[in-house]
Amino acid sequence: MEVIVETRSTQLLKGTLDMCLLATIAQRPCYGYEMVQRLTQQGLALVSEGSIYPLLSRLQQRGYIEGYLVPSTDGPPRKYYRLQPEGTKQLEQWQAEWETFAQAVEQILKGERFDADPRSVHAISDLRPH
Amino acid sequence: MPILDQYTQYQISDLIEACASYWELRGVAPGSRNEMRLELEQHVTQAVRDGKSLEAVIGPNPPAFAEAWAREMRPRIFRGGIVVLPALVYALSVVSTTALIQQLLAHSPSFTFTLFTAYLLISSGLLALLIPLSGFLAPRIRTRQGRVTLLCALVVLVVLALREAGMRVNWSMALLNWSWPLTLVLFALAAFLYSLEYWRTANRERTSSAGRVPLVRSVMAFVGSVAVFDVMLFVGSVAVFNVCTLAGKLL
Repeated sequence: MEVIVETRSTQLLKGTLDMCLLATIAQRPCYGYEMVQRLTQQGLALVSEGSIYPLLSRLQQRGYIEGYLVPSTDGPPRKYYRLQPEGTKQLEQWQAEWETFAQAVEQILKGERFDADPRSVHAISDLRPH
Repeated sequence: MPILDQYTQYQISDLIEACASYWELRGVAPGSRNEMRLELEQHVTQAVRDGKSLEAVIGPNPPAFAEAWAREMRPRIFRGGIVVLPALVYALSVVSTTALIQQLLAHSPSFTFTLFTAYLLISSGLLALLIPLSGFLAPRIRTRQGRVTLLCALVVLVVLALREAGMRVNWSMALLNWSWPLTLVLFALAAFLYSLEYWRTANRERTSSAGRVPLVRSVMAFVGSVAVFDVMLFVGSVAVFNVCTLAGKLL
């Protein structure tokens, strides 16, 4: 059962990781490892941390974020990411989509809409084999 | 900050090298490749210092990770296509220099390109590609010696498998035979293709943030690598010959 739960949360995270990364960068500019740490602190543990990099590249290619090198005192320069105006718009759109989606799932899980429409219950009972 | 032991440092550098080589094969621009390499190296080093494994960073399948990242960089070249011209330049340079050396040293008017030379050239090229990519095994095989041993064991296994399969091949069979003027033509063709490759690389680097390599340094590096390749080809031919003889005696 533990494995099933882990797989589901992994799948959910895969579908929303780009949005989470964009939201993390929107808070303040940060580098890859820092993003992973911040996601972990929020309770989102990644199966493979490196999976953020293809997504960061995609967000950068689409113009939502911008990468820039910052000189480091203890080694080579570090690549930070900051939000771009296009990214702000996209994040707002994704947030709205997520709220609608999460609300719908929550209602289905709680059975709210199911109970509110008696015709639906009747239709399902008709489908049962006689 | 904990200091990493030598094995772990080799593990990290081999893995990063494998990813960088793969991105080069996939045609990712040098500037982007350098940034990707830098980011990954810093992430892996910090993660390992925090007590995490390499697998925790790049997942259970390192080539899949490298491919996923390369795909997002929108390379304009088909998979492996970037090596076609450099491989042709290397092959022509090695063959023409080998022919030239033989014709000069043996005072022979012609050079015979045998099946054995072709086999050695192809297998050396494949090995030159596989050795940097062997770093993908770093998360599973911790030591560098272990990874090199596995590659050597694979080569020997292929030879033994071919022998076991009963392949009776006439290795000294002549595929091509040419006189020294053609050797000079091949030499000139190799030089022309090399300048074409240099121009192409310089153009790509001009559009990226990476610095351009000076022509003299590039030519010196190339001539050096061809000389090393020639020596390796000679040593390799002796080694393969001995391995085949030994395998024949054992079987």
